[in-house]
Amino acid sequence: MSLDSVPTNTHGNLDEEISQLMQCKPLSEQEVRALCEKAKEILMDESNVQPVKSPVTICGDIHGQFHDLAELFRIGGKCPDTNYLFMGDYVDRGYYSVETVTLLVALKVRYPQRITILRGNHESRQITQVYGFYDECLRKYGNANVWKTFTDLFDYFPLTALVESEIFCLHGGLSPSIETLDNIRNFDRVQEVPHEGPMCDLLWSDPDDRCGWGISPRGAGYTFGQDISEQFNHTNNLKLIARAHQLVMEGYNWGHEQKVVTIFSAPNYCYRCGNMASILEVDDCKEHTFIQFEPAPRRGEPDVTRRTPDYFL
Amino acid sequence: MESSNLSSLPEETLDVEDEQQQQQQENKKNPPVSAFSSAPPTRPPTLSSLKKYVPLEWTGFFDKEEDVCIPESNDVFHVYMAGTEGPVVFCLHGGGYSGLSFALSTSKIKEKARVVAMDLRGHGKTSTENELDLSVETMCSDVFAVLKAMYGDSPPAIVLVGHSMGGSVAVHVAAKKALPSLAGMVVVDVVEGTAMASLVHMQKLLSSRMQHFSSMEKAIEWSVRGGSLRNIDSARVSVPTTLKYDDSKKCYVYRTRLEETEQYWRGWYEGLSDKFLSCPIPKLLLLAGTDRLDRSLTIGQMQGKFQMVVVRHTGHAIQEDTPDEFATLIINFISRNRIGPHGIEIPGLRRTFQRNNESTQQ
Repeated sequence: MSLDSVPTNTHGNLDEEISQLMQCKPLSEQEVRALCEKAKEILMDESNVQPVKSPVTICGDIHGQFHDLAELFRIGGKCPDTNYLFMGDYVDRGYYSVETVTLLVALKVRYPQRITILRGNHESRQITQVYGFYDECLRKYGNANVWKTFTDLFDYFPLTALVESEIFCLHGGLSPSIETLDNIRNFDRVQEVPHEGPMCDLLWSDPDDRCGWGISPRGAGYTFGQDISEQFNHTNNLKLIARAHQLVMEGYNWGHEQKVVTIFSAPNYCYRCGNMASILEVDDCKEHTFIQFEPAPRRGEPDVTRRTPDYFL
Repeated sequence: MESSNLSSLPEETLDVEDEQQQQQQENKKNPPVSAFSSAPPTRPPTLSSLKKYVPLEWTGFFDKEEDVCIPESNDVFHVYMAGTEGPVVFCLHGGGYSGLSFALSTSKIKEKARVVAMDLRGHGKTSTENELDLSVETMCSDVFAVLKAMYGDSPPAIVLVGHSMGGSVAVHVAAKKALPSLAGMVVVDVVEGTAMASLVHMQKLLSSRMQHFSSMEKAIEWSVRGGSLRNIDSARVSVPTTLKYDDSKKCYVYRTRLEETEQYWRGWYEGLSDKFLSCPIPKLLLLAGTDRLDRSLTIGQMQGKFQMVVVRHTGHAIQEDTPDEFATLIINFISRNRIGPHGIEIPGLRRTFQRNNESTQQ
């Protein structure tokens, strides 16, 4: 092998890996480990409230639905031609969590200024052991090393982002222990998602029609009413809270008199819910446009036929 | 675990049939005064293994039992009770089980809450005019009647816990919104979509069960080695009340004639997911091993409408197989949702409106 064939462009390998991933082919265990090392260096320098510039396209849950992520890029534009902000929940439920999260992390390493990837409540050791990512790693790699590598990396994902100082983006919602963005900037995020407390709330809470704070029916986080959203936006000079975490049949849903918007980007969630997906484009003039999309045509995805349980009584 | 069951069962089947013949001869000489005496003396190895399966009394787990008579009927429902403080965790067992299915978990739950576990119609020590009417409507009325007989017009805060068929009864009771003090609901390992899909196999599954047991020990052993229960201690206390002694056959048979209730099965599960979601109280769905959500529940869960916990290393009867984890989940559900002895207590949590008005006691 001559010296000439060694890529002078340090991104050579990475570009190859990205195009391999775009075909839904996973990387090797060693490649994943090297990739996550680089990603960790980049992510540890990001803020708990990562600043983001417009134009940017804001996306919600993906949940391992790789072909729908590919569709999202076809509709929204390729990265880095379009800037992206993903609000978490890349893994679990769908059949291609490995390919999905590897692609997003690879894009982050290749274009760190062009894509922001926040942490969702599924980017956690505990949740991924129940909802599929752990099992998928075992199935695809024969061991749990890749799962370990990724879940260690998830600890470094930023929790929230702030677009042009006016759109506050996060996976879940607000917390009764957080009044200002500085409160968020000040805590140590590099840890497993706790069962309670402000970091847990940011990833688990939901807006609610009822005012004030409520106990979340989910078993973690809180529900928060319009009064809470208004107060938070006012205190922090925000126009909008953009968040994901809840399935909405149209792919997006305004709440709290347009103080909060929910964006969900996994069409026909779990291959059975029949919902639309959407992404939110914020342009140079900070104007908002929602783009809805339907499931991509399926290739080689198993039907949703599940084993009949051996119980009924 | 499947493979070990498969390998042990055929041998076991022969063993038991063999024993039944011996048993019948035994019984002629010696009617079984205690279950233990019926073990064949000619087989010392089996005898010693049977010691593992000796029945346990309910008294080690509950504080008392009561017969609740329903006025203007001949129905008498048997309930087991434990604990002195906190809300009432009202437990409804699955088809073919009994209130004692909750025995092991009760010994932990009763430290923080009161537990009432009833034997449903046609089950356990309950006696009713029509033991075969297992329609969900009838079982639902039975629960209301028992609660009324026990607590009159001022019931304490109640958390309904229902396993499988009992889960369906719990959902139907809650969906009627007729119990002002109902403060929460826990449904254990039953989901409409998968339950409906499995109904076609159920007569076969029922008839493939072992039907006759020479002794209580044999029935307990079969339930554990056959895989329906994984916790020997729980099986020792819960299995005996699911059996009755058949004098003509000189052996133990199932107390509940499930195969004669097929007409009601669809009614247990049809529309269950939407009914579950419609109940305006905190809800916890416990599933064994894997997530079996159907479309309605997948959407509901992804919209944050209820809490779901997938419990590992357990069979269908989570409360029996992993009683400590089950009890902890129930206690945490009660404390997280601030359910006190009289209802949901949420001082200062809502600024303007109190949520769950329906379920808060005045």
